[in-house]
Amino acid sequence: MRTLPIAALFFLLAGCASVEKVESGERSLGERMLVSLDGPWNKVSAPDREPAVVWTMEGRPVDELLIYSGIKNEQVIHATAMGANRKNFAFRSGMQPDEIVAMFEGMLTRDGSTFKLVKLAPADFGGAKGFRFEYSLTRKVDNVQLSGLGFGTVSNGELFALLYQAPRLAFFPRHQPRVEQMARSARIKT
Amino acid sequence: MRLASSVFAVIAVSFAAAAWGQSKNLAPGFTSLPRGAAVVVMPTDIELFSISGGGVLEPKADWTEAATQHFKTALRDKKQKLGLRTLELAEKDADELTEVNTLHAAVARAIALHHFGTPLPTKEGKLDWSLGEPVQAIKKLTGADYALFSWVRDSYASAERQAAMVALAFVGVGLGGGVQVGYASLVDLKTGQVLWFNRLLRGRGDLREADKAVETVEALLEQFPVAK
Amino acid sequence: MNRRGFLAGGCACCVGGLVPGPAAAQAAWEIPARFARPDAGSDEGGLWSMMDREEVRLRKSPFSLRDPKLQAYVQDIACRLAGEHCPDVRVHLVRTPLFNASMAPNGMMQVWSGLMLRVDNEAQLAAVLGHEIGHYLARHSVERLRDAKSRSAFGMFIGMFGAVGAVGQLGLYAGMFAYSREHESQADSIGVLLMRKAGYDAAEAAKVWENLQLEIKARPDGDASRSPFFATHPPAADRQQALAELARASPAGAANEVQWREGVKPFLRDWLHEEVKRGQHEESLALLGRMIARSPALADYRWARGEVYRLRAKEGDLDSAVTEYLAAIAGGGEPPDTHRGLGMIYRARRQSPEARTSFQRYLELAPEAPDSALIKSYVEELRT
Repeated sequence: MRTLPIAALFFLLAGCASVEKVESGERSLGERMLVSLDGPWNKVSAPDREPAVVWTMEGRPVDELLIYSGIKNEQVIHATAMGANRKNFAFRSGMQPDEIVAMFEGMLTRDGSTFKLVKLAPADFGGAKGFRFEYSLTRKVDNVQLSGLGFGTVSNGELFALLYQAPRLAFFPRHQPRVEQMARSARIKT
Repeated sequence: MRLASSVFAVIAVSFAAAAWGQSKNLAPGFTSLPRGAAVVVMPTDIELFSISGGGVLEPKADWTEAATQHFKTALRDKKQKLGLRTLELAEKDADELTEVNTLHAAVARAIALHHFGTPLPTKEGKLDWSLGEPVQAIKKLTGADYALFSWVRDSYASAERQAAMVALAFVGVGLGGGVQVGYASLVDLKTGQVLWFNRLLRGRGDLREADKAVETVEALLEQFPVAK
Repeated sequence: MNRRGFLAGGCACCVGGLVPGPAAAQAAWEIPARFARPDAGSDEGGLWSMMDREEVRLRKSPFSLRDPKLQAYVQDIACRLAGEHCPDVRVHLVRTPLFNASMAPNGMMQVWSGLMLRVDNEAQLAAVLGHEIGHYLARHSVERLRDAKSRSAFGMFIGMFGAVGAVGQLGLYAGMFAYSREHESQADSIGVLLMRKAGYDAAEAAKVWENLQLEIKARPDGDASRSPFFATHPPAADRQQALAELARASPAGAANEVQWREGVKPFLRDWLHEEVKRGQHEESLALLGRMIARSPALADYRWARGEVYRLRAKEGDLDSAVTEYLAAIAGGGEPPDTHRGLGMIYRARRQSPEARTSFQRYLELAPEAPDSALIKSYVEELRT
């Protein structure tokens, strides 16, 4: 049974709850993170991605920027409404970079999508020691092959991360530089 | 889904007398296809459903089979009215284009969702989506300059559903009977820009019958931007 | 199959009860001639067309496992089982770490990588494929279809055969479109018949379910229905008994364990990795325990078990993980990740020299590893 027809109908008929413009310049993401944007983004409501805040340039069916700001110890990093049978993924303050990436992998593959880590390296993020990772994700619902880029750090026991994913064809390369710039500009208040 | 694609050369004809300026369906700066442009018609993705009494969508393969044939016939007739040539693509070639096709489907969903639904402020109200260079793979395989994609999902109330509708109507509850959703998009195979996009979202239309399928094709391709 | 059911099954109804004994059922049934494509307007025809379209999607899907050699190998086994029906059977391998195989009425067969990981030999795979071919030859799904139509969720029925590796959907419809007891029993009989004809040892059929049970019993909730296979094939209480009986009636055949192991060797590490990533630790431990008992020297299995312990990280697990990793290394041919896993544990325990050594060995064995930059930074840190 293809879920796509139903999903597509849902997209077409229900629409997004709301879209807000995020202007360029200094923006606060949560209480402790600040970024400097070189251009506007669109903030979309995405209850299925909570606690992440979701931005997009082309629309969620195409690209998504997941913003995790101040995720606390033992906080589950995804909506738990669907799939009571499925494993939950929660952040723990003591997690190492590879464990945090594994946690995101688990979250991104709950719907049957497949994830492959391409690169994981230490990197400064938000003015602290953190990590950067690249991945590919094959989206289950419609087989689109996505490329992904993530930045993260743990500060005062809280997780701060940016994940951007878009189709590997055309879209990821198009918006990647802006995400890199955003990540470079990020500052986390201690 | 039968995987036949056709290439037809668009000869200057207009099949809509209406004058359109910069409409919602057109990308900024684009008004119509130039004379002699070659357009490849990508295999249409159609699926028909029956809505059961409980409101569940049930795919109907025989309806879908029929609809696919009717749609192809209606498109072919349309091309014939314009006096166009058709060429067939090998199934192997269509396989090679799977990723671009999948990509287009996602972009089309985004356009249907946002351009014709809740707008994305950064797009500033314009039809401004581009698949970029990867579409050149289609150009390479077909020699065409433009590609026409189409997608239709159609649902019809089954007998139980209709009975339920009637029953509930008596107590003042409105039930959706059936919805036809679809889109048609025209993509520039040099740049990947979506030049024209039409979204269909209505409560009527019937692809199960050949004559009614013609009407759906007309609705889908309403104001298709051909140069006069 | 839950423990209660299995124990209660006993022999109350397996011989001469409500359901005809399996041996008797075999004598009565004959393999039909090849099926003609049904009329497009019929319900079966509609189902067939839908399956055809699903098959096209399956072929193009990134989840499809397209290795020509492995595909040909499994196709060959399916073909020999199907006999005259061979030309109608089309095998598609799918990358999904769960035990499942299915065959749609149009001849499309899906074999998931989780199944290929779990079977010990060709005969066991043949048991499952033969069972599916049994459903196909006896046209159970068409019967089921006609039955299901009266229930409004007919469309979901397609999910059993279509949607590539559709885990979620099968879970949802657990039991809804399951084959009946009679169908299961018949498919088992036919499966064994086909195995025998193809020269396989029918005794391996019961072993498959025995092995699967081990995993299910290991589940904290012991709930069989969460397995995709058991969502559509409810385990009959008397099934193993019946299969054992059927096997007794047949002379021993081949198992072809060596050929099977050779055939899947290039994929084993990937499949184990996927299994570990499922995060269902208890099941993975049961599975790996069984595999290690059979092949104690195979480093990949020890590494995988090490990973499961390391990820589960319950009391004593990290010690167990170290034991497993070291066993893998002792065995030789260990995956580079073995050293990475060791390094992670040593690092967490602040055993710096050991951690550094392990990480360095990992980097030596896998210089192009995705996380090599991160691991290098750990090595640097550990120097200080």
